[in-house]
Amino acid sequence: MTLSVEKARTSSDFWAEFARHPVAVIAAVILLVVIVLAVFAPLIAPQDPYDLSSLVMRDARRAPGYIGTAGYTHILGTDSQGRDLFSAILYGLRISLEMGLLAGAIAFSIGALVGCTAAYVGGRFEALVMRLVDLQLSFPAILLAFVVAALLGQGKGQLIVALVFSQYAYFVRTAHGAAAVERNKDYVEAALSVPMSGWFVVTRHILPNALPPLIVVATVQVASAISLEATLSFLGVGLPPTEPSLGMLISGGFQYLLSGRYWISIYPGVALIILIMAINLVGDQVRSQLNPRLKR
Amino acid sequence: MTAPLLEVTDLCTYFEARTGTVKSVDGISLHLEKGEILGLVGESGSGKSITGFSLIGLIDKPGRIVSGSIKLDGRELVGLSEPELRKIRGRDIAMVFQDPMMTLNPVLTVLDQMTLALQAHERISDADARLRAVEALRKVRIVDPEQKVDFYPHQFSGGMRQRVAIAIALLHRPKIVIADEPTTALDVSVQAEILVEVKSLVAELGISMIWISHDLATVASISKRIAVMKAGKIVETGLASEVLRTPSHPYTQSLLDALPSRSKPGQRLGAGANDIDGESAARPIAAAMADPSFVAMDGLVKVFEQKRGFWARLGERSGLLKSKKPVLAVENVDLTIAKGEALGLVGESGSGKSTLGRIVCGIYQPTEGRITLNNSPVMSAGPQPRKLTTNVQMIFQDPFASLDPRRTIGQSIAEGPIAHGLTSKAEARSYVAEWLKAVSLDPAFADRYPHQFSGGQRQRIAIARALAMRPDVIVCDEPVASLDVSIQAQILNLLLQLRKELGLTLLFISHDLSVVRHLCDRVAVMYRGKIIEVGTAEEIFDAPQEAYTRALLNAIPKLA
Repeated sequence: MTLSVEKARTSSDFWAEFARHPVAVIAAVILLVVIVLAVFAPLIAPQDPYDLSSLVMRDARRAPGYIGTAGYTHILGTDSQGRDLFSAILYGLRISLEMGLLAGAIAFSIGALVGCTAAYVGGRFEALVMRLVDLQLSFPAILLAFVVAALLGQGKGQLIVALVFSQYAYFVRTAHGAAAVERNKDYVEAALSVPMSGWFVVTRHILPNALPPLIVVATVQVASAISLEATLSFLGVGLPPTEPSLGMLISGGFQYLLSGRYWISIYPGVALIILIMAINLVGDQVRSQLNPRLKR
Repeated sequence: MTAPLLEVTDLCTYFEARTGTVKSVDGISLHLEKGEILGLVGESGSGKSITGFSLIGLIDKPGRIVSGSIKLDGRELVGLSEPELRKIRGRDIAMVFQDPMMTLNPVLTVLDQMTLALQAHERISDADARLRAVEALRKVRIVDPEQKVDFYPHQFSGGMRQRVAIAIALLHRPKIVIADEPTTALDVSVQAEILVEVKSLVAELGISMIWISHDLATVASISKRIAVMKAGKIVETGLASEVLRTPSHPYTQSLLDALPSRSKPGQRLGAGANDIDGESAARPIAAAMADPSFVAMDGLVKVFEQKRGFWARLGERSGLLKSKKPVLAVENVDLTIAKGEALGLVGESGSGKSTLGRIVCGIYQPTEGRITLNNSPVMSAGPQPRKLTTNVQMIFQDPFASLDPRRTIGQSIAEGPIAHGLTSKAEARSYVAEWLKAVSLDPAFADRYPHQFSGGQRQRIAIARALAMRPDVIVCDEPVASLDVSIQAQILNLLLQLRKELGLTLLFISHDLSVVRHLCDRVAVMYRGKIIEVGTAEEIFDAPQEAYTRALLNAIPKLA
């Protein structure tokens, strides 16, 4: 006889456990604030960075605290085009989250379905899919994303394709691993012996049970998609210059960094770091709660 | 009279859970004399394992010993610091666990593990440690100990591994060995050998032993005195022969009544207060069986090809690697089951009985041969085999694994009938309720998840799921092997009753011969993939023809 401690399954248990870790809670609060700021950016931001008519060249490259032509204080200063940095960052966060979540969701769906199906079908199909995935994972994600983005050109849609292409393999790998374990469990055999169709078994039995590790990967991959997007934009193959993406803002201020106008690059950079760290810290906590093996 | 070797008084071990305090061990007192084997019997959750862990101070948070005393040779163990306990553990009190695969380190040889155990308490050179290790293995009757000592755990069979675990426990000549379900994971014939050997070892070395088990019969065969535990308390203690013949506590009586070996075949077992109502289910008589080959297995063979990768295949072709032999799990089996009959399939683990059951149920495709149900094939032929019938369903051994943890039991029961048109989505609720009632469960349970149920309840749910497909044939793969004896009795009674009401044909796979005798009309004995003997239950149990069958029957531990 062993003492079996029933896994915390109900959502209230989950949040109670989550609440006992102060770092995770702080990260979650920060993440929530960032999301609220990003979602309500048009209401909060003093300036619309897409509205070119509101830009005044005389206001360009002003230090934080400068009161501009429009009469309000640029609390984080302005960039080389005279955009209010605080507004640009808010809109930048909006773009980052949008890109990260969209790319993450698409890669998640493709990966979960392909991985679970491969584990269920087995044989040559499984071998083919998994070797392709292995092949892709042997290249750095940034390189793949860079090549695809460069081939497709600038634009939101193109960037999402590039991000999904560089990330779906992680989801396939994880889904396959989890599903291969579930595939051999009695309840799958029980469903097959009824007999239930393969599609039913994959979507109703295997997939839901393979979700926990996928959710963990998803949090990490959303954060990495955000940083990938920033990197690509910084390198000039991501979004067009009209979009106030964080990577774009950083790259725009890069040349002024050594001439004392630090704020143009630093503040968007700080915003990016806060966003990614908050997601990762929340993700870490979720991972340790969903994976009983990591519990002491 | 001298003081006993070990004296436990009013020991309480509680676990602090969020939902309240769990009194796993609630004021037990027992004593152990030198050279004695004390049997500690109880069902799962009775606190018998926790008692064992308490004795060697291995209670982890949130559990703790709340009160009471444990005196070893007059020395109080409760309240000792961890370093002091560590000196006692292994040297004075050693432990043997249920599953030797879990307790032996798979990456260390037996010698390494024994050397570590020895050097934990003594300063001893590696050469001397080797001598001691070889001697310890010889003591537990391991053949060729000089060589076997360098083996890794996976190179031993289950029984041998448990012997190694016992040898490690005996290394320091402990005063007391606590054995927690040491033979539960073993085949019945291996168990019989170990029981005999442990008994003689204890006599030879003059050590004392606490033998913890859920199985009354094994405990009765090894120990002179037994203590029966229920809900953290010892309800009865005394000489084994007396407790079993004239139990004074109703709980002990109910445990005895639940044993299939103590009642007439086909009769309802005493299953305690939770039992379902209903008159005793008589066994259907053989004459009523109209169709003698309702289920027909014709020359069934199942070969499992070992999975090999590209490089391994290349290596084999070029002769660099040894080729892996395919495993022949089922070898040329011809067997029929009449309509309404219960056929028992017995054999030890690895005999291929589960594989055969899965072929009958259409989970595996046979490599050769045909399986037909009512003259139509169970599975289609070809490279992508499909199960063609819903007329044969399966009940699995482990009810914790055979239900999808993320679906409600209502969803699990209804999915098959909906997919195969036995009910509609709209009527699924009442359909599920009907089958939950049939297995004596509350229909309101349909919205709950499997983890909210006990093992016995889950097995009922699994039975309801199988029955909801309205099959004629049910394959039961060790359906009661993972259940406590009183729960086992309830499930067996349920199966007997359902069989009578619904006219089910059963293929009942089990390693437990007394269960098979209780439930089945005919018995087939399987050994290394072959059916070696088939006959009516009376023929097999009263006049076995084959030597293997006789050995299997003799290995069953008997009550007094």
